[in-house]
Amino acid sequence: MDATKKELKGLLVMALIAGRIMLRNGAETYRVEDTILRLCKSRMNIKYAEAFVTPTGIFMTVEYRDEVLSYTYRIKSRNIDLNKVTLVNEFSRNFVNSDMTTEEGSSILKEIEKKKTYSLPVQLFFGGISGSFFALLSGVRFLDLVCTFISSLSLIGVLYYLNKSKFSFFLKNILGGMIATILSIFFVEVGIGHDLNKIIIGTIILLVPGVAITNAIRDSITEDFLSGLSRGIEALIIALSIAFGVGITLRIYFQALGGM
Amino acid sequence: MYFIKQFLIAFIGTIGFSILFNIPKDSVVKSGIIGALGWITYVFFNDVLSSSVAGVFLGAIVVGLSGELFARFFRKPATVFIIPGIIPLVPGSKSYYSMLAFIEQRYTEAANLASETMFIALSIASGIIIAASVNKIFKKKKIIK
Repeated sequence: MDATKKELKGLLVMALIAGRIMLRNGAETYRVEDTILRLCKSRMNIKYAEAFVTPTGIFMTVEYRDEVLSYTYRIKSRNIDLNKVTLVNEFSRNFVNSDMTTEEGSSILKEIEKKKTYSLPVQLFFGGISGSFFALLSGVRFLDLVCTFISSLSLIGVLYYLNKSKFSFFLKNILGGMIATILSIFFVEVGIGHDLNKIIIGTIILLVPGVAITNAIRDSITEDFLSGLSRGIEALIIALSIAFGVGITLRIYFQALGGM
Repeated sequence: MYFIKQFLIAFIGTIGFSILFNIPKDSVVKSGIIGALGWITYVFFNDVLSSSVAGVFLGAIVVGLSGELFARFFRKPATVFIIPGIIPLVPGSKSYYSMLAFIEQRYTEAANLASETMFIALSIASGIIIAASVNKIFKKKKIIK
């Protein structure tokens, strides 16, 4: 009896780790719930398992014979790493279709959790590329393109350190917007940049909450309205805080330095 | 020629974004293609219908549908393709200009731009909703058979 209980607990903890990794790294709610249920029901002939997931926590219950076990897990920090979501997705498919023990499964999941993201230089380079190419979509000169590249690159660098230092996401986006604007103003004032608006647009596009927007929509269609609503609010607050950061810096620039 | 140029620019821009979202290495180019397809659809219909809201709506449908298709074909979560693919359509410059109009106290213009931004955001949402719903219908049919 004790052995089965231990096994049950192992299975539950493994499903919890899988759900935790997915939720922290930007998966949709239904995918997290689905993965947890599939992992739980794949072993020990479990008939009843239920999971309730919101962007800030996981609640799950499993019934096995006369025992009911449940877990609650609170998600605090979140960051975007879609590679981990994909890996856990593949893992759950493999786990269900094989005879892997829960210990092996847990160790694989813990390795996934430790996986590194793309290195900082790569992120800096591609951040610069995407900022400058989005500026190019709205049609800019070559020198403005270079300015946008440098300012987006520096913005990604700053965000990297802000992420490490536990800033709230609100403050982080305000600071991001301010830094983007200050850099763009600097380039224009020095005389390299020409079109201030387009340089700023190209740089702040990096702050756009793509994951929050997409997941808010996708959660709402799968009828996870609670998650959909809270992610929508997240996206809205991020957009407003970017606008606030950019707006206040521009206002000071116009007022104090006479502007353009 | 103009379309090819726009396609390439959007392709490279989306690839940059997919690196920032840490998309798996083998999906980076695919999500770039989806972003570029969505942008090209937007550019084309924006031109033909002379309405950016309609253009973004159709672009979002293309991104959503091709994202779901790629997801099924390559066995990856659909968001891996849709999240970076949607970024070129996000009304970044519209919202910037409406903010600028606000701080320069041109309120009528600001209201115009802000409402257009809002409609573009809503049309992105409805485009993705339609794509995902279409995908769901086909999923259900398969199970019934």
